[in-house]
Amino acid sequence: MREITYLEAVREAMSIEMRKNEDVFLMGEDIGVYGGAFGVSRGMIEEFGPERIRNTPISEAGIAGAAVGSALTGMRPIMELQFSDFITIALDQIVNQAAKLRYMYGGKGKVPMVVRTPSGSGTGAAAQHSQSLEAWVTHIPGLKVVQPSTAYDAKGLLKAAIDDDNPVIFYEHKLLYKTNSEVPEEEYSIPLGEADVKREGTDITIVATAIMVHKALEAAAELEKEGISVEVVDPRTLVPLDTETIIESVAKTGHLVVVHEAVKRGGFGGEIASMIAESEAFDYLDAPIKRLGGVETPIPYNPELEKAAIPQVPDIVNAVKETLTKKAVAK
Amino acid sequence: MLKEVFMPKLSSTMEVGTLLEWFKEEGESVEVGEPLFEIMTDKINIEVESYEEGILLKKYYDVEDEVPVNEIVAFIGEANDKAPDTPPAAGNEEQTEKEAAPEDAVSQKEAATSGASTSKVRATPAARRAARENNLSIENIQGTGPNGRIHEQDVVDALNKESSKLVTPLAAKIAADQGIDTDSVQGTGARGKVVKQDVLGQQNTSAQETGELERIKLKGLRKAVADKMLQSARSIPHVTLTTDVDMSKAIEVRKALLPTIEAQTGYRVSYTEIIMKATASVLKNHPKVNASLIDNEIVMNQAINLGLAVAVEDGLIVPSVPNVDKAGLAELTTVSKELGAKARNNRLTPDEMRGSTFTISNLGMYAIDGFTPIINAPETAILGVGRIVEKPVVIDHVVEVRPMMVLSLSFDHRAIDGAPAAAFLTELKERLENPWTLLV
Repeated sequence: MREITYLEAVREAMSIEMRKNEDVFLMGEDIGVYGGAFGVSRGMIEEFGPERIRNTPISEAGIAGAAVGSALTGMRPIMELQFSDFITIALDQIVNQAAKLRYMYGGKGKVPMVVRTPSGSGTGAAAQHSQSLEAWVTHIPGLKVVQPSTAYDAKGLLKAAIDDDNPVIFYEHKLLYKTNSEVPEEEYSIPLGEADVKREGTDITIVATAIMVHKALEAAAELEKEGISVEVVDPRTLVPLDTETIIESVAKTGHLVVVHEAVKRGGFGGEIASMIAESEAFDYLDAPIKRLGGVETPIPYNPELEKAAIPQVPDIVNAVKETLTKKAVAK
Repeated sequence: MLKEVFMPKLSSTMEVGTLLEWFKEEGESVEVGEPLFEIMTDKINIEVESYEEGILLKKYYDVEDEVPVNEIVAFIGEANDKAPDTPPAAGNEEQTEKEAAPEDAVSQKEAATSGASTSKVRATPAARRAARENNLSIENIQGTGPNGRIHEQDVVDALNKESSKLVTPLAAKIAADQGIDTDSVQGTGARGKVVKQDVLGQQNTSAQETGELERIKLKGLRKAVADKMLQSARSIPHVTLTTDVDMSKAIEVRKALLPTIEAQTGYRVSYTEIIMKATASVLKNHPKVNASLIDNEIVMNQAINLGLAVAVEDGLIVPSVPNVDKAGLAELTTVSKELGAKARNNRLTPDEMRGSTFTISNLGMYAIDGFTPIINAPETAILGVGRIVEKPVVIDHVVEVRPMMVLSLSFDHRAIDGAPAAAFLTELKERLENPWTLLV
């Protein structure tokens, strides 16, 4: 099967949906001729024209407001935020309007919009361009939250997000844009709320999101050499969350490590950990649940410090060993 | 109004106190500051004074009982107050008259409660499920996880092993107290469960085999010494260096000073004080030997306080003689003798046992030449002193008879290496062989 990048997969999903449905359009800062901050929409203006690939003024609140309004009136907008950090400016529209209106209108109005936005660190873009704030939006009833980790997932999940009649926040990790994976040319979609077991194992479950899925897989490969069999579960969508797959995995392995890039305190890992503690998997837990997340600091500009601020493969290896009460390797 | 009397916590390591004596009977009146009872902690015996006045309404424990710290030992109140029949400890607080509790008693009660919870079995949910499903009592399983946490595999192992033998909690407790391995006990209960009688039977059998005289439970000071020695020997890499010291001149010094010091203090100066003085003066030049290793940090101590190991009836106690480097021999003689006497009479205060930076253990009064002392953690070294005995030694190619003494220095190899430890001991030997230099 052909391999394409994550970035191309996102573009392909948008293009397919736009070809199928004239109500779908993309708007954001410099997404037209320039092709967006990371080049995701490069070339799309040639096919769909400036009416459907709309450049906007530099106002995230404005873009979000326009998206909510057009979605309410029957369009299916995809809005791009150049960096997910800038969602703070658009939060009034997203949290107080987009998330609420379908409920407040008794189902008579819908808000089928997608907020696409690159998140995470690793590009030296410093504190205001490198955050992982996904836990914030998972707290808001009415919003769906997606975090694909592969090109395959990105295409399938974005198609489902565009199809959804509710507002969906779609986090694309900056460092994943250039990663390849096998992606079918034909249409397929991945339902929101289905986790994916990225690697099967029997000794311990790692639930990891976005780029941490890849780090967890690397850690799993290392641990395999020592005879530790790791199962890596990628929830793919945080809301709705596929609790069943996670519970099943933890009940099987009896051990859980949760890894995300966002700051550990108040991060989504806490939600997964408490969900497990509340579930029938509790009785199968054979060690305390371990959470790994970013340290409590703004993301530093210095690349070495930036790296140190988020979990790395050796941290995951150590966390697994600690959880299995085996001797952790010296850091 | 009922006023609670708690078992006080007199040191950071104290977990229980053993009641030695009640000074008041139920119904007697008590003044603030009057001694109420005497307890033995892991270090000392101490009289507990009342901090309330009123009538001693209820005593919950008898002499010899061990009482966890912060437990309610008694109630003081007025004649018409009614104290509960059983001590309102953690778990049955309901029986306490709520309004009777003084404010700070609440936090003490919480401390007692949390103390109780730490004694619960630590087991993972999976281990508990496995034990439940297999009808196995989780208390009987040995946990291999951190702090003895029982994991599922431990339950599986217990099931697979013959030792998964069912044991009632009471039988297990008696067996643990008496050091009996329940694996070797034939169970007579349902499905071969080991019950109390089985363990007691076993106890009698083994007693018959050995003609056992008495069993003494490790408790109080004996237990504290046992725990501390085990901890020190296990966790500290000990290395012991020994050297022979010619004590000829030290003997002369002692002889010369004896009448003066005795006239001044009423005590006879002993070699211990001379060795202490010499040690303190040498420690000044070797700060690493006068250090403590605490939480991966070597803490260099400015003060030179010497711990003096004193044998008492039930164990070993180490009073601390402060600022030995600054004291003259007369003062040192007084302080050491007084502390030694207090130690032997169990009258040392916690303060008098705190703060030593280096310890000396002297077995010179016995027929002991040299030994390997165990470090008084967290100190980094300890000096063992042997007897002074005349031995032939070669001096300038001539064999002479000299009063010789062996010094043994055990040091913590994590904090000090062999060469600096040897340098310390060498200087100490030189100082004792030329004791007049102590005057310089």
